[in-house]
Amino acid sequence: MVTKNVENVHFWQVNHKIKNILEVRGITVLSSPKAWQELKWTRKFFEKEPKEGYFVWVRKQIDFPLTTCISIASPKIFQNLTNLLVIEKGIKTRANVLCNATQNQLCGTHKAKGKLILKENSYLEYNHFHKWGKKDLVSPDYEFILKENSHLIYNYKSLFSPKTLNLKTTIYNNKESSSNLNFIISALNSKIELKDTVFLKGKNSRGIIKLRLVGKENSQIRAKTAIFARAPGRGHLDCQGLLIDKGSKISLIPELFCEHKEAQITHEASIGKIDEEALGYLRMRGLTEKEAIDLMVTGFLKT
Amino acid sequence: MNKFLLKIQNLIVKGNEKEILKGINFQMERGEVRAILGPNASGKSTLAHAILGNPKYKIIKGKIFFEGEKITNFPPEKRVDLGITLVWQSPPAIKGVKLSQLLGKISRKKIKIKEGKELLEREINLDFSGGEKKVSELIQVLSLKPKLVILDEIDSGLDIKKVEMVAETIKKELVDKKVSVLIITHWGQILGYLKPDFVNVMINGEIICQEKDYKKVLKTIKKYGYEKCRECPFLAG
Repeated sequence: MVTKNVENVHFWQVNHKIKNILEVRGITVLSSPKAWQELKWTRKFFEKEPKEGYFVWVRKQIDFPLTTCISIASPKIFQNLTNLLVIEKGIKTRANVLCNATQNQLCGTHKAKGKLILKENSYLEYNHFHKWGKKDLVSPDYEFILKENSHLIYNYKSLFSPKTLNLKTTIYNNKESSSNLNFIISALNSKIELKDTVFLKGKNSRGIIKLRLVGKENSQIRAKTAIFARAPGRGHLDCQGLLIDKGSKISLIPELFCEHKEAQITHEASIGKIDEEALGYLRMRGLTEKEAIDLMVTGFLKT
Repeated sequence: MNKFLLKIQNLIVKGNEKEILKGINFQMERGEVRAILGPNASGKSTLAHAILGNPKYKIIKGKIFFEGEKITNFPPEKRVDLGITLVWQSPPAIKGVKLSQLLGKISRKKIKIKEGKELLEREINLDFSGGEKKVSELIQVLSLKPKLVILDEIDSGLDIKKVEMVAETIKKELVDKKVSVLIITHWGQILGYLKPDFVNVMINGEIICQEKDYKKVLKTIKKYGYEKCRECPFLAG
């Protein structure tokens, strides 16, 4: 996990304080306000002057993953972040991004607006981990702009859910680009709103959204996913929910908008409950009911 | 030490609101190999699942004892802790969970795996062939360090060679090590390999006879069919 060795984290912020910026050859790392001041070209991406957050610019090929860590460590902190990540042409890289609360009852708010630009022929594997406390309010809004022949794999994982999570993700796929989104969310007494949208803007662009959602202990999950095909591209939505108890609710709303006759977009969605036969089977292998359910949930999230 | 490993008294069990077991009396000693023969839907699998405590089946009346301890109301996992295990006839698939992962959680002892190594990194029972399921089941059960293994139709859906292979493993890993084995089967092919000490016949939720000579029972069933078992002159009494 990213926090195990914070010295190697390229951008590390706790509450509102930047604890560390590690700039190495090939990448520029600045706070977003500083980038706004010093690199005028970033302003068109920030839209308005940022208050806090990071700017990472991958200029040259690097052979290590980018890492960022933004934490809430004190009660009632309100973070309002604006992040910008720019991957230059032809660069292939991986980013491990952690946002978390260091304790369970901090009642923090984490608001983040992010823009990620993948320039022509670039590749990004973006691993985004959330680990929040039970009373936190979290609302990230990320936009990915994929230039020609760029490729994105976006893995989002939230196994320690906040009180509320409003997660909005928008992908713009240009010509020959591809995006592959894998979202794993386990909600425990949480209210979760997801809105994922992929725009297939360019010829032969491809987009896949895969959601695996688990609702436990009075959780409410609402996931709205959409693909807009505006060019001859291909897209697929794969949304699956698993309800663990009677008090939880999941609603999946997959939408397909085809605006080009040669585009091909499809979806599949299902919501199920724990398979009683499989539960009995695992208990008859010596696992307690809770252990068996946990194992089945782990398995479900991997499918 | 209690003489009986497993003792069942007047067990009445319902499944889906229907009475399936209608007063079973049954016992097994330590190290014993026993078979229950019976036609389809006679209640054999229900008995196996009731012994393991599958919540799908409701015990209406009767008692189950294991090593002298009353386990009638124990949850399945506690029964496994005591050493009771079941090889399922049709085990369900557990999506996303590899066999090795499950073994890592349940194993009570290290086992040497000769057959089925290739199954370890596959999702449990997902797209397994009939033979692969049986091998996977045996691997799991052996890792539980059992005192009693119930084999539910272990020989169904297997070709002769696979039956031989499975029987050889059971003999080497269980029978020869004095682990008690209860074989549930409707066609009895595996009995020739495992040579049970006793055979019971179960029909319509009742155990109707007990016999030491499994060959005699098989011969009778072959000749008269299960329907005639109740009137069978060799088995009666």
